[in-house]
Amino acid sequence: MNAPDRYERFVVPEGTKKLIPFISFFFFFFFSSYLSVNCNGGSSTVNDRVSYERDTKIINAASFTIEREDHTVGNVLRMQLHRDESVLFAGYKLPHPLQYKIIVRGSGGYGFEQLDWVLQIHTTSQSSPMQAYNQAINDLDKELNHLKRAFEDEMTKHPREY
Amino acid sequence: MEGVSYERFPKVKIREMKDDYLKFELRETDASMANALRRVMLAEVPTIAIDLVEIEVNSSVLNDEFIAHRLGLIPLTSDRAMAMRFSRDCDACDGDGQCEYCSVEFHLRARCVTDQTLDVTSKDLISSDPSVVPVDLSDSSGYDASEQRGIIIVKLRRGQELRLRAIARKGIGKDHAKWSPAATVTFMYEPDILINEDLMEALTLEEKKNWIESSPTKVFDIDPNTQQVVVVDPEAYTYDDEVIKKAEAMGKPGLVDIYAKEDSFIFTIESTGAIKASQLVINAIEVLKQKLDAVHLSEDTLEADDQFGDLGGHLRGG
Repeated sequence: MNAPDRYERFVVPEGTKKLIPFISFFFFFFFSSYLSVNCNGGSSTVNDRVSYERDTKIINAASFTIEREDHTVGNVLRMQLHRDESVLFAGYKLPHPLQYKIIVRGSGGYGFEQLDWVLQIHTTSQSSPMQAYNQAINDLDKELNHLKRAFEDEMTKHPREY
Repeated sequence: MEGVSYERFPKVKIREMKDDYLKFELRETDASMANALRRVMLAEVPTIAIDLVEIEVNSSVLNDEFIAHRLGLIPLTSDRAMAMRFSRDCDACDGDGQCEYCSVEFHLRARCVTDQTLDVTSKDLISSDPSVVPVDLSDSSGYDASEQRGIIIVKLRRGQELRLRAIARKGIGKDHAKWSPAATVTFMYEPDILINEDLMEALTLEEKKNWIESSPTKVFDIDPNTQQVVVVDPEAYTYDDEVIKKAEAMGKPGLVDIYAKEDSFIFTIESTGAIKASQLVINAIEVLKQKLDAVHLSEDTLEADDQFGDLGGHLRGG
């Protein structure tokens, strides 16, 4: 009865993830606890699939929310981020199996309160979480290109059996 | 600013390749990549399957939705699938998702006029596009006439008729299993087996034979010339620890050392026939790349964030 439609697992609804809900949430948060300023809390909607928020308490930590993705992309990204030496922490989770998104995040190791995190990346001052994230995706892209070429070469070399 | 690249260079070696079966080795990559490929092959490589059925006449023993369900599960040759558009994304048709760019139309007309039971099979489905047809599952050797029939949809008695029109669309396995192109996709870690020769020398031939037989699959055997225990098929090992437990029971722990190589995988892929097994792997890599590109951050966001980053630092510090 409450289950979402099957196509929701991969179809990104049009016009989602507007910035406004994030801003208002953060305004409230900031006003109540920091009594200051008019920044949008360092959150951003890149396209309709990915959005990220910098962590307010820990420097160089951010949470990325990726809509309509699951372990396929989450685990691969997480393992690739682990290989980056400037990344201190990287982890991902699915907040709920019936909500089709992943959050990737890194933290400094001293506990963090969660609003709604999915992929967290915490890096040293050498690079920012956004750079680490982009770098990881670029490396994976190159690796897949290499794999594809290697596979196609093997296919031409291998004699076909009928 | 470009950081250091942490790229891997995977290696592939094909062991066995047929139209619908593929076995290959994948080395120097991570388990997460192997698993991602497996998940994509099962659930996210697009194929074409019947999605909408309009039934004109059905006097068979099966009801309409039963037949529609069976029609959906018939595998169709889907080489066109990667290039085709999804019906929901198609702008050429007037919204009903039935134009020639995003769908393929099928007809089926069958009527039983003889006293013999008529089998309506997938071979009776007539396609509007010759490149998208029900998969021909018959063996090329064709030794048995019954193998040539195709998938049976329904059986008709004298006087029963079935007439319908079906639309096939592009989809992925995540939506419904009828669109999954893979029958099974498995991968295993390649085992590394080391026999401790000194301990093995201390066993009699009888004890060696006993030990070899304790393994449920035939991994070891006695070499007839040298009477030594050799590894005959390391990949038959299913990571049950029977031989290790038997060695301990015989009082010789450490007789053999088996561990899984962490970055070496053996994939076994069986396709339904919709896409060739080798093409399935290539499509899977392509789909995985598209998924990663979709979640990429654009360059201007990075710049905007950098400007922000300083401000944010000041705010938090101040």
